Amino acid sequence: MATTAERVRQLVADNLEVDGQPVAVPADLSVSLTDVGVPSMDFVAFAKVLVREFDVPLTPDDCAGFSSLKDLAAYIDAQAA
Amino acid sequence: MLRSSAVGCWWRPFTEVAEAAVFVIDLAPDAAHEAQALEWLSAEERARSRRYVGAGPRRRFTLCRAALRAVLCDRLGCDSQQLTFGTSSHGKPFAQIDAKPEPISFNVSHGRSHGLIAVAARGRLGVDIEERRARDDLEDLTDAVLGPNEKREFALLRGNARTHFFFRMWTLKEALLKALGLGFSQDPAEFEVPPAVRQGARTSTFSFPSRPRPLWGVYDLGTDEFAAALALETIAHPRLSSDG
Repeated sequence: MATTAERVRQLVADNLEVDGQPVAVPADLSVSLTDVGVPSMDFVAFAKVLVREFDVPLTPDDCAGFSSLKDLAAYIDAQAA
Repeated sequence: MLRSSAVGCWWRPFTEVAEAAVFVIDLAPDAAHEAQALEWLSAEERARSRRYVGAGPRRRFTLCRAALRAVLCDRLGCDSQQLTFGTSSHGKPFAQIDAKPEPISFNVSHGRSHGLIAVAARGRLGVDIEERRARDDLEDLTDAVLGPNEKREFALLRGNARTHFFFRMWTLKEALLKALGLGFSQDPAEFEVPPAVRQGARTSTFSFPSRPRPLWGVYDLGTDEFAAALALETIAHPRLSSDG
């Protein structure tokens, strides 16, 4: 079964694009959504995707506040524990 | 002060609203502009620029921040080396000269090809710009962003009118949230754009449901190229019309 980190990485690839290209993030999820240039509208849409996928409380501001996608995945795991 | 005489400016005055001046930034790829802009940034800003993963986001940050420096230095009469940025407890940046906070309001937004800078001597303000495009997730977004009346009005629209309406509501709401300084920690679906503006007026006044004061002026700055909006605290603007 895919880990939360792997699922987050796939959701980013499936749902986010910058300059018309899918967002590719490194396997260690060491970058934030801000680092890859995700605009605010996409933060709102992606927060809804994450809430639907993981059933955890998450606002667009929460998504923007994580310094890396790895931290975002860790937050989701902690909420689900 | 900063001048871009050798390569030309990539920003220019766009409009003036009440006491706010708004500048539009050209974010098209241009190696000379990008090289010039990078020179104007502080070491910390250059490091932040390098953290962006792609060339597009890196260029947009660099060109916007350098243009902001030029606009603020011009207004404040200082050199770029004297200008630094602090951050409020809510994360909103403010300008400092020689580490002393300056009472000037500013806000920056960018889309893919254009940016906006709004600046005023007083009063909080927020600005937003978005290039309109069809989105597969528009239903999700309207659910997250629009209030009940706005959703009813959106549901009556078809085709491009839906995209136009949504982007107009989005920029007005994001400008208000940025002016308030709370960002999306305040739920955008919990307040609605004034009815007159929803029906096409370019300006009105607004107050958040839970915060009757201050009163905000809201301005639709959209053009054929982009949706855009400005929100401006009305401390010194008692003559603003109430609905248009």
